[in-house]
Formats: sequence, C-alpha cells, structure tokens
Amino acid sequence: MEGTNNEYEAFQSFTRVGLDPEFIHLNDLRFKRIDLSEYSAIFLPGGFSAGDYIRAGVIFARRLADTSLQDLKRFQDEGKPIIGVCNGFQVLTETGMLPGWGDGISREIVLAPNDSSRYECRYTFITMEARNPLLSHGMSLKIPYLIPVAHAEGKIRIINPDKNLKKLEDNNQILFRYSTPEGSEGGYPWNPNGSISSIAAISNGDGNVIGLMPHPERLFYHYTNADRSRYGEVAVGQRFFTSIREYIVMKGF
Amino acid sequence: MKESLSGVRSVPIRGMDLRALESTSQSMALGLSGEEMLRLSDYFKGLGRDPTDVELQAMAQAWSEHCCYKSSKFYLKKYFSGLEKHDAILAMEDDAGVVSFDDEYAYVLKMESHNHPSAIEPYGGAATGVGGIIRDVLCMGAQPIALLDSIYFGDVGTRQWNDPSLHPRFVLDNVVAGIRDYGNRVGLPNVAGSVDFDTSFNHSPLVNAGCIGIVRKDRIVRSFVNRIGDIFVLAGGRTGRDGIHGVNFASATLEERSGQNRSVVQLGNPIIKEPLIHAVLEANDLGMIDGMKDLGGGGLSSSVGEMCLAGGVSAEIDLEKVLLKEPNMEAWEIWISESQERMLMAIDPSRLPELEEIFNRWGIEFSVIGKIVEGTNLILRYMGEKVLDLDLEFLTSGPVYCRNYDIPQRKDIDYVLPSESFDMGDLIKRFLSQPENCARFNITRQYDHTVRGDTIIRPMSGFPNHETHSDAAVIKPLEHSMKGLALTAGSRYNMVAVDPMGGTFGTMVEAYLNIMVTGSRPTSVVDCLNLGNPEDPAIMGQLVQISSAISEFCSRLGLPVVAGNVSLYNQYQGINIKPVPNIMMVGVIDDVSNSISSDFKAVGNSIFIIGKESTSLGGSHLLKFLGKTSSSVPWFDMDELKIISESYLKAVPSGIIVSAHDVSSGGLIQALLEMSFGGGIGFDTDITLVSGARTLEKLFSEGGERIIVEVPQSREKEFLEHFRGIAVTKLGKTTEGSVHVDDFGMTVIDGTVEEFKEPWVHGLDGLV
Repeated sequence: MEGTNNEYEAFQSFTRVGLDPEFIHLNDLRFKRIDLSEYSAIFLPGGFSAGDYIRAGVIFARRLADTSLQDLKRFQDEGKPIIGVCNGFQVLTETGMLPGWGDGISREIVLAPNDSSRYECRYTFITMEARNPLLSHGMSLKIPYLIPVAHAEGKIRIINPDKNLKKLEDNNQILFRYSTPEGSEGGYPWNPNGSISSIAAISNGDGNVIGLMPHPERLFYHYTNADRSRYGEVAVGQRFFTSIREYIVMKGF
Repeated sequence: MKESLSGVRSVPIRGMDLRALESTSQSMALGLSGEEMLRLSDYFKGLGRDPTDVELQAMAQAWSEHCCYKSSKFYLKKYFSGLEKHDAILAMEDDAGVVSFDDEYAYVLKMESHNHPSAIEPYGGAATGVGGIIRDVLCMGAQPIALLDSIYFGDVGTRQWNDPSLHPRFVLDNVVAGIRDYGNRVGLPNVAGSVDFDTSFNHSPLVNAGCIGIVRKDRIVRSFVNRIGDIFVLAGGRTGRDGIHGVNFASATLEERSGQNRSVVQLGNPIIKEPLIHAVLEANDLGMIDGMKDLGGGGLSSSVGEMCLAGGVSAEIDLEKVLLKEPNMEAWEIWISESQERMLMAIDPSRLPELEEIFNRWGIEFSVIGKIVEGTNLILRYMGEKVLDLDLEFLTSGPVYCRNYDIPQRKDIDYVLPSESFDMGDLIKRFLSQPENCARFNITRQYDHTVRGDTIIRPMSGFPNHETHSDAAVIKPLEHSMKGLALTAGSRYNMVAVDPMGGTFGTMVEAYLNIMVTGSRPTSVVDCLNLGNPEDPAIMGQLVQISSAISEFCSRLGLPVVAGNVSLYNQYQGINIKPVPNIMMVGVIDDVSNSISSDFKAVGNSIFIIGKESTSLGGSHLLKFLGKTSSSVPWFDMDELKIISESYLKAVPSGIIVSAHDVSSGGLIQALLEMSFGGGIGFDTDITLVSGARTLEKLFSEGGERIIVEVPQSREKEFLEHFRGIAVTKLGKTTEGSVHVDDFGMTVIDGTVEEFKEPWVHGLDGLV
C-alpha cells in the first residue's frame, strides 16, 4: 500500500534463492484480483504504510484485516510462512497474528517508540534463540549475525510482562535477540530500541508467522572483500531466505 | 480594473508611470523591478491591450531569478557551455543530468538548493527540497535510488539570540527532521552529503538536496514536448494555495520578504510520492510518456512554458480541468501554485486508457489539462474565457543581466601560530569536539541509509557501533551487474571565503579524492552555487571566480558538469553568507567488491601518505578554531591529482590498499584519527618527513591532493613499486588501539583511540 517500501530488496531476496515472488497491492486484495491461497509465502515489507502518522502499521493492519483476515488465517493454519519485517511486524501485531494468542486483536505485545526517541539506522547483531521450522535450514542457534536495523518504533513492550514474557519463552516464541558481536545481550546501541529482554523478533506458537524488526532482506550478500573477511562469506539475508525456500520446498507449498 | 465571469481582471499597466508600476509589482507580489515592469508595459502597448492578472503573474514567475537565472545566466553560459560532455548523455539540457553507466543503463543526477524556504519553515522547506529533487530525477524516467544532502547552519550553540529570525539550533533540528521524515517515508537511502556550521549562515541556512537514479537508456524521458496532438496529463497531488510566489520569494533577500508569509512554502507528502514514483515508472516502462517535467518553482506556469518552448510547440490549457485542493481558487493561483507531488506528462491520447489503468491501480489522481498545438502563443482558458494569450518566447526566456562584477584585492594577512608549549593531545580533543569537526552520526543515523539493500559503502564505515565517516558512499544500482556508483557532496567554504577560486579548486579536489579513494572513477559533476546578493558586484565576482574554477578543473580532469543550480540573495540585514559552491560528484566502480572504505582493517599494517607536501593552514579548520584568519589558501595541483588517480585506480583491484582516506578538514591528524575510529585500530607514526614545516602545520594543513592508505606489510614492496614516481611517504604502522605521533624525535601525541574518539563522537550531543 502507499508508504510501503523495502519491497524492492525483499523481492530481490526471494528471487536470489530461486523463488518467484510477486508484488501484491492491498487494492489487489480489496478488489479480489488475486487469490492468496495460490501463494506459498507472504512477506509484509517495512516502510511507513499510510505515513505511520497515527501508530506504525495500524492503518495497514485494519485494511488488511478488512479485506483478507480469513484468508490470512487459513494461510497461517496451513503452516505457510507469513513474515513481517519492521512495519510488516507492526502490522502483524496490530492484526493480532502475533503473538497469536487469542482470536480477535490481542494487545499483549506492542511496538513502541525507541528509547532514544529517534529514528535509528545502524548495524547490530542478532542471535537465534528458539528452534523455528522456517529457519532451521540456514541459521543456527546462538550464533551472532550482522544485520541492519532502521526504525523509529521498534521497542517491543509486553503488557503484563511477568506473565507474558514467560509465556513467550515457554512457547519458544522469542526468535531473535539483539546481541553484541560475541553473542551476549548488550545494552544500547546493540539493542537499538530498548526492547524488553533485547527481543528483536518473535513468532507465533507454530513458528510459521514471524515478525522481525531488523532487516535480513537488506543484507543478502557481503559484497565487499573487506566485509567478507570480517563477517564471513554468507550474510544473514542469504541464510534467512535460503532457509525459507527449503521449508517451502520441503512442505510442498 | 475590470472584472469578468472567470474572476480574471485586466490590469491597466499601459497607462502607469514608473511609480505606479512599482507599486503594482509590490501589491501583486510580482517581485519584478520597475524596469522590468516598464518592459512589460511596452510589450503590451505593442499588443494594443492590457495584460490579465494571470498573464502578469505568469510573467513574474518566468522572469524571477529562480526560474530564468537572469543574474547568473550570462556567466554560467560563458564558463560551462564550452565544456566537453565525456560520458554525459544530457548535460545542462534537461531537468537533471544523464550520464552513461554501462551499455544499457544511464544514471540521472541533480542537486538543488532549497535555502529560502528552509530559512522560514525549516521542516517543510527541507522536506520539499528532498521531494523536489526526487521528482527532477523521476521526470527523466529514472528510478530514484539514493539521496544526499549538504546542509549549512549558523552558530547552533549560541545562547544569545535576540533576532526575529529562527534560532540556528531550531533550524538544524527541523531541517534534519524534514529530510529524515521525507526521505525515510519515500523509501530512498540517504547515503552522503555534508553538515557545516558558520556564523555567516546564522540567518541564511543552506539546504542543498541531491538525488540519483537509474534508467535504461532507451527509456530516458526528455523535459520537452514536440508531438502535436499529444495531451498534457497532470498527475499526483492536487493543486492548492500552498507555495504561491515561492520563486519570487526565493529571489529576494530575507528582510525584503514582507510578512514572512509561510504560504510561500509548499507542503510535502511523501505518501503520495511513493506510489506516484511506481505509477510513473510503470507507465514509462511501457513507453507511453513522450515528455515529462515535475512541478516545482513557478508551478504549471513554468513547467508548461518551458516544456513547450524547448520543443518548439505551444499548448492550449484549460485551467478548470486542474484538480484542486480547495474551491474558489483564482485562475492565476491555479496557474502558479507550487503544490507538491505533481508531475506533468505529455502522452498520445490513444494511450490514455492504459495510463488510466496504471494510475488507478496505484490510487493516483490525474486529469487531462490541455493539448499540444502548433503556434507561438500559449493559450489558457478558464470558465470559457481566454485568460492568457502570450508569445512563449517572450514569456519564458526572461531577461538576461550581465551584472557588473568586482574581484576585491585581498589584504595580505599572515597568521601567527601559538608557540608549541601547549598539550597537543588536549588541543586535538578540543578541536574534535567542535560541531564543525565532530562526528555527524547524531544526524546520519536518523536517515535510513540501508533501504533498497544496495548500499555497499554506507555513510559510516567500520565495525558496528565503532564506525567512522566514509569519504563517499557506494551503491550498486543494478541486480545483474557488479558495477557501482560512488557519491559525495560538500564544499570547502572556509577556503572559498578566503579565495573563491583557490577554495573552489580545493572543493573540487576533495570531491574527486572522496570518489577516488573508494576505488571509483569520477564521471560527473553537479554544482550548486549558494551566494549572497547579486546586486553587489563583489558577490558577482565570487560567482565569476567560482564558475571559472569549476570549469577549469573539469576541463583539466575530463569531467562534465551535467546539472547545476544557483541560489542568490542569501543575505540578511546586509550580511552575505560565505560563498558556498556545493559540489556533488559521482563516480563509477567496475566491481563493488573491490570498494575501499576509510577504516583501518588490521593491526601491523603499514601506513603511507600519497601526494606531495602541503604546509599552508590557509582556510583550514584549525585557523578557524584558533580564531585566526589568512589571506591565501593552499595550492592545488591538478596535474598531480590526475597522476595519483590513474595510479591509485589501477592499484585498487589488486588489493594492495585495504583502507584509504583523503586529507581534508582537520588535516593529516584528523584523517589518521578518523581511520582509527572505524574499528578501534590505532597508529604509531613519525611525521618528520611529511614536510619541513612546524608540527601544527604538518598535522592540520588541509592542502594538496593527499590520501592516507593502509597497506598490508607483506605487500609494501609491491605498493612502492606501483606508485614509483609519485610522492609517497611512509608514516608508520597500525596498532592495537594506541595513538602515537613523533616529529623530529619528539613525541607530540601519545594516547588511545578511545580517548580521542570520545569528544569526536559526542560533539553534536545536546544539539541534535
């Protein structure tokens, strides 16, 4: 929809791993020009849908829910991947698909303005904290991966944290945490927004709906010789999208 | 004055004397001088009728300094028209420059000032500056891929401010927010540029916004129309009362702008722009756009007029067809409104259904507002009445002034340096903590510089959260090609203020080195000249000297000047800004995997300086910091620059150079420290052989075409062999994290990377 961006690099990332992505505009859903069930995965890119003047992702979420909530639910129940990055993550929490604990719109998790109260564009590291069916083919637990972040509202806040943070952990729903280059939890700026427990990404209970604040699609390759010798041959984006492809192929979606 | 059904009035200027003409110009906010009004009055006497208010307003737009460059055109033509095009496809011809990238693609670039709006409404002024420059690139049919901007502010730290103009710190914060909110929302990475501070910008801040795009060569859209029968489609945002008389406003000094009327500043809306870009590019991909121009200064009046005049055709426009934000706008307001996010395109009427399908899908409003016809006169109708009927040539070409210029004799001033009984480390730390000299991260991290996933060298280089400044950004515009584009923008305005010509050479040299150190070959230049009041011959003298220096540099180095912009009247209460030739330069690298960043890579590597010595502190940041002035600037040797760059670019693919940084603001010592800030790797150096000058001069001279490079120790011989015949001096080696400088057997600096980095990183804290 208007204000969405990051779609270019997301499109390239899927293409690079051999998939055949298509752009779908909200209007395509609204006018039933396409049928979601014909697709294998949904990726909600970042940006500033409708300008994000009210609250990040809220308008996108409403419009998406109005046109296709049932289709999305079916997609989710079939185990197909639904991935929201940055603004797309905000959309998934606004629709209640993350953390996915109730029917209707759940408000256990919100993405609040960064602690620095400004837009933060930087590189940091993340480590995978839970086994996830989508990512087990390319990413390993507890290994720090270099990744870009760029947002103003990415601080994960959990309502009733004593209960709900534990619930997330117990359900293996904390997917990535921000970390230092060594893989340990660090304060700002490694955790760029002040997220509780340094959470960078969560999934639903089944693991096929993923919301991330960082951008794997923006760092598919380490292009320069210097970066390859510093961070290794394969960048986080290539690992992430390759793994998604493996999952899709394996499941026959 | 007679009134008609359309609300359009006829203005009886034929019978007016000079005084009445002047007062009419003032009451209608035309911004035209008495002489210019007399010329109009004579013209209409010849036609045997009085002009309508629409006609007068249209003339005022076209004849404003902003639109017709009446003060600068003569000299710009003199210095730039003879330059060769080299790789350029379109140089100074259309709304933006177009330069060959590879066999199939071209890049499109432009930089433009948005100074006057930013002085009174910094947030909106800066945001619409970004919006306007994106449209300039888009209207060539190109996909915009990156932004950059150079911004100049006054004394942001001052606590004494009794002036009615905005406090520099307020301006700084809001300009940054405007650039951030627009660029981030439209989804383009902001990858390069500059931030400077000087009291001469206290009331006249400068905002120069640049954009680069990529286009298939067979899809370049020209900024003119020549197909009779084509229709004009106006798409995007609606037309409103925002931004009326913006160009006239920008063609006067601040105190002349009565009432500081904010309605002259347009309102930007990146959330219309983003789908507008998609829709326009999709239509262009199908080859349906015959000519296109964005609507900026002067609104429809300028765009329609310039497109037709350049194509040798004319047009009939129906103002009722223009979609409006608010009812009851007068005809002249519709015609000159500078409302944002609008594109004007000419298409064959048979393709309208296809265009409609695309624009509807993206939710973009549009309307057909007129058609292209043969003839010399532009005709405008409103409510069935003809409200404008003017010869296009007369309307659009505008007057040309060959203003007098004067190059004042410079007084010889010799600066006296303090004796070196002070603590050099302490001086450097204080120097690095100044807003002028410190890190720009508080600003650059607010700009999204990684969106699109194509940014290879970001504005900051090095290990995450230990980064340093990059010299130029490198982006990779095409998925199927490893070729990259390097971008930089800035000015050495402190040097230009001392010596407009020498300082401009210095500016060009720095831009060239910024591109070169990344491993890229410069292939184009855009100049944005920001000056004071052109009615002052000394200011015209600056324009002449700066233009001739840019021209000479470019012809010596084989570079085309592909686009440019002149912003005059940057003056407040008689105080002119320091002249700022802001240069955007773009280069090409064949394989981005070889691109070189400015951060030291490994401990134990050798550090060399390439380029012959420079000892002058003229126009340097150190002299400014010490409160001293000079009457000359360092000498820049363009022949040496050429030789160094040939040799350097040949060395890049071999990997013998692992990091490189040019010596510019803050001299040798700042260059070394910045290289160390990128990864925490320090240096142990001896500067005895750098030159025979005093330590302060060795450390802080900003002259010459000098770069510092890091070379793996094992490849030192190979390196020296490669650069044989060029002045190369070994400085020392990289260390774990200590910083050490010796000179003539004495230790001048001894410390750690962290202790020097601290004041540098936090220099802007509390300001932005």
